[in-house]
Amino acid sequence: MSAPARGRLWRSLTLRLGVIYVALFLTSTALMFGAAYWMAVYRPLQQEAAAVRSEMGDLAAIDRAGGRDALIRALVTRQTTGPKKPFHALIAADGEPVIANLPSWPDDPVSGWTLLEADIYQAGQEHDYEALVVENRLDDGARLIVGRDVESIDDRDELFTIGSAWLIVVAACLAIGGSIAMSSAVGQRIDAVTRTARRVMAGSLTERIPLRGTGDDFDELAATLNMMLGRIEESVESVRRVSDNVAHELRTPLARLHADLDELRGADHAAERERLTEQALAEAERLQSIFDALLRIARIESGRHLAGMKPVDLTLLLADAIEFHMPEAEARGQRIESDIAPGLVIEGDRNLIFQAVSNLLDNAIKYGGEGGAMRVAARREGEGVRIAIADRGPGIAPEYRDRVTERFFRVPATAGEPGTGLGLALVSAIVALHKGRMEIGDVGPGAMVTLIF
Amino acid sequence: MHILVIEDDARVAEHIGKGLKAAGHLVDLEGDGRAGLLRAAAETYDLIVVDRMLPNVDGLTIVQTIRATGDTTPVLFLSALAEVDERVAGLRAGGDDYLTKPFAMSELLARIDVLSRRGPAIVAETKLNVGDLEIDLLGQAVRRGGRPVDLTAREFRILAYLARNEGRVVTRSMLLEHVWDYHFDPQTNIIDQHVSRLRQKVDRGFETPLIHTVRGTGYMMRAGG
Repeated sequence: MSAPARGRLWRSLTLRLGVIYVALFLTSTALMFGAAYWMAVYRPLQQEAAAVRSEMGDLAAIDRAGGRDALIRALVTRQTTGPKKPFHALIAADGEPVIANLPSWPDDPVSGWTLLEADIYQAGQEHDYEALVVENRLDDGARLIVGRDVESIDDRDELFTIGSAWLIVVAACLAIGGSIAMSSAVGQRIDAVTRTARRVMAGSLTERIPLRGTGDDFDELAATLNMMLGRIEESVESVRRVSDNVAHELRTPLARLHADLDELRGADHAAERERLTEQALAEAERLQSIFDALLRIARIESGRHLAGMKPVDLTLLLADAIEFHMPEAEARGQRIESDIAPGLVIEGDRNLIFQAVSNLLDNAIKYGGEGGAMRVAARREGEGVRIAIADRGPGIAPEYRDRVTERFFRVPATAGEPGTGLGLALVSAIVALHKGRMEIGDVGPGAMVTLIF
Repeated sequence: MHILVIEDDARVAEHIGKGLKAAGHLVDLEGDGRAGLLRAAAETYDLIVVDRMLPNVDGLTIVQTIRATGDTTPVLFLSALAEVDERVAGLRAGGDDYLTKPFAMSELLARIDVLSRRGPAIVAETKLNVGDLEIDLLGQAVRRGGRPVDLTAREFRILAYLARNEGRVVTRSMLLEHVWDYHFDPQTNIIDQHVSRLRQKVDRGFETPLIHTVRGTGYMMRAGG
């Protein structure tokens, strides 16, 4: 591992997670171990100690009340009582033992609790005992040591002591091993995401993060990121297509303008000059309108146009739009039928919605054919409003329906009609700004565009 | 008219200056926002044409400043910022009209002509007369040669706007702005068709037409000739 890689490792989340994991693992092991020790060793020892202390109290009382003989009798009797083997030693003030079943005891008086070895040989066999004893000085200066066997508890204690050493080693190994396995598993998944992201940044937009197929969190994240990459790829593709179109659509009038001006330089006759000038101005205007429409769409799409949202009376707006286009329709011998519900009000930008409706009516008139009828219907639908504008023209072939809202796309058969191919793109942007929906369908012969706000 | 033009692009400024002079106006040009503001404040003009984006002081500030001093000189914004909200910002700052670049000289001249008519004291008119045409603004009724002319509400508004600017060129975009209550770009020249319908109702059967077409620009209402 190279030095920078190690540096990265130390900074890495997976390592930190690993360290935390080790710490938590060891702490929880220690806690569990401590609890077990408390229950198996400490508590029984305490209970035993309490029992011995109470026995010592009883024996001291017997000594005071009944004298030394009574105490000795009590000690002898005691040898056979209790679940754990009792031990005792009574040592006179001069140091001579009076009665004892402890094999040995310390010369100096013990204070508090002490554990004494009390192994006893009986019939050639050694019995291991461990006595928990307490010492009391009697009134005449004699030492009374009383205790009970706690060998079984003590064995457990030893087991715990040895066990804990092993446990620490094993737990540490498990923790470190586990943390390395965990870090590397997480690290690998993250690396897969990082590698893909870098390849995408390097320009390969078709890259996707590999999925494990386990449906785990990382798979879910990867799937979401892949979906995001899909969207980005799609929109980059559409930007690419649009910018190709933009280049073409802007170059064409520009080239014509250039040609007109070029010819103008050599034109001799006034009439010729006039014609070329008019032509050049028309091209300039066309360029301007394409520019305006493109900027407008871009502006609406980037959401910079949110200020004008107010309640809009659609019933009135649609009537105004129909009235605006009526002369054009009548000039073509077309009729406009309307079926508009009263009181349709939505939240929106009235100028933009008027623009959208106007564009659709314009299309319906342009492509609706001579003498046809178009129909504008609007009604409330749930929380929103559905506006349908249908004509009796040739309609839009199904294979083009997805593309007509693309900038500059024109259905091939309509190339002869004037237009920029931006009308429906603008409508689509306006509808999207209003979080609405646009559907393109047909009604027998004829196109029907439905806006749902 | 004495007109101040504040425009930083030298060629556009020259173009405007030439066009305005040819139309018989006296023109002062300024290319800098601060200099333009000082000049507008120091001298008296009949009209100010101002760009939005200018070095040092922008057009909106210039207009706000001169309006704050109580100056009511008509102001026409000339700007590449074309969106409705930009336009609203311009009018709110105190502009009287807003024309977007690029523009046709005829459009600019027509708008300047109409603006110059807006004196400080506009009398609330109730009746307009052009030749033998009478327009009753309160009753929304029109008579020509004493005979009533039946118009739709929209046609009435077109006619009233033309009559109010009698003898002046009214462009299609001016009509669109003043007669329809929506700011939008019509795809085709429908305004012409609206005017032609109106013309049929108003001028048909009369010897002298009142609504005249100004080629390449718009319309003009004028009695006789």
